[in-house]
Amino acid sequence: MKRIPFGILLALLAGLGLGLVYSWVISPLRVVDSIPSALRADFKDEYRSAIAGAYAATGNLERAKARLSLLSDPDSIDALNAQAQRMLASGEFQQADQIAFLASALQGNGSAFVPPPTPTAQVAITQPVIPIPSSSPIASSTTLEVFTSTPEFIPTQSIIIEATPRPTQTVIPTIGAPYKLIAQESICDSNLPDGLLQILVLNASRRQMPGIEIKIAWDEGEDKFFTGLKPELGNGYADFLMTPNFSYTVQLARGSDVASGLTAPACQTSNGDSFFGGFKLTFQQPK
Amino acid sequence: MMKTNRWLFLIIAFIAGIGLGLAYGWVIDPVDFIDLTPDTLRADYKADYVLMVAEAYRANPDPGLAARQLAIFGSQSPTSIASEGLDFARANGFDASDIALIQELVTALQAWSGIP
Repeated sequence: MKRIPFGILLALLAGLGLGLVYSWVISPLRVVDSIPSALRADFKDEYRSAIAGAYAATGNLERAKARLSLLSDPDSIDALNAQAQRMLASGEFQQADQIAFLASALQGNGSAFVPPPTPTAQVAITQPVIPIPSSSPIASSTTLEVFTSTPEFIPTQSIIIEATPRPTQTVIPTIGAPYKLIAQESICDSNLPDGLLQILVLNASRRQMPGIEIKIAWDEGEDKFFTGLKPELGNGYADFLMTPNFSYTVQLARGSDVASGLTAPACQTSNGDSFFGGFKLTFQQPK
Repeated sequence: MMKTNRWLFLIIAFIAGIGLGLAYGWVIDPVDFIDLTPDTLRADYKADYVLMVAEAYRANPDPGLAARQLAIFGSQSPTSIASEGLDFARANGFDASDIALIQELVTALQAWSGIP
């Protein structure tokens, strides 16, 4: 019977161990040329924010879709909605708004594309890149429209760009149709908190819209809140606790019908106990 | 003679073990890389990210915001990150309008950061 060469086996195992330590710990493969789907979650959020920012600026949905596919999210819309809600919760309202709009557009509501309000400076940066008319007549004619619509602009921007801009960049965005108040019902449910004002915001396809700012005003003050902060109740859901005997007025910040004279209704349980009910308002964007 | 052969076999086995370990650790089952940072992204993805920032910058010309967005690439200055994106875009046949957008961003960042 031949003896097992323990010495050789031991040397082999020692070498194997050393090789693994070197290749896994001391000098693992260096990562270069990675893809966006391998990014850490917070960087994926940054990437989505950049995609949404670019979409808000250009309205190029196909390009946004292609970029989102790089992140390999199981469901891009869910990922965007979840991120919009996280951002709302952390007070990043503008970015949350852009992300919610992209999610909305991906849900098939492309007509709802409403870029965020254009700051005055936006026009200012458009002006320096006005090409010399003789070299780019199309861009010039498009730019003239901008001049017409913003006569108060004084082109004092010092940055000069020689490159020809895309004519599409100077298109003035259209404002989406204001939301309609399609339902307003008083709710007497003793299981709900007193004075609960529930709001549901839907797009034209009756999908719930997260990240919609709601303004509420009463005699002595005003406040604002957003849909989507309670995703367990729906992405387009928001609520507010009304103080009994106060009269409230509600409107969506981006334009909608006004629901006014909202006062928590007095209700009674079957036992005759009194409590204050609430309201449920449903806003929808018209087709 | 017998003793020398034995040592030779041991050394050969040890070296073979190292080779096997390296092959396993580098080729067969390399360390899985997840949760990577953006500086590891391939150049084309980096350039596309720069383009996204440039597109957003056109609508909201805030160089500080653009610089913060580009800062995810690490210790490089936002201007050099954008410049690298511009170089890549020029070298790889990006659309002229996209190149113009990145150029606009680079110029704005240079002005913002005081680079002549």
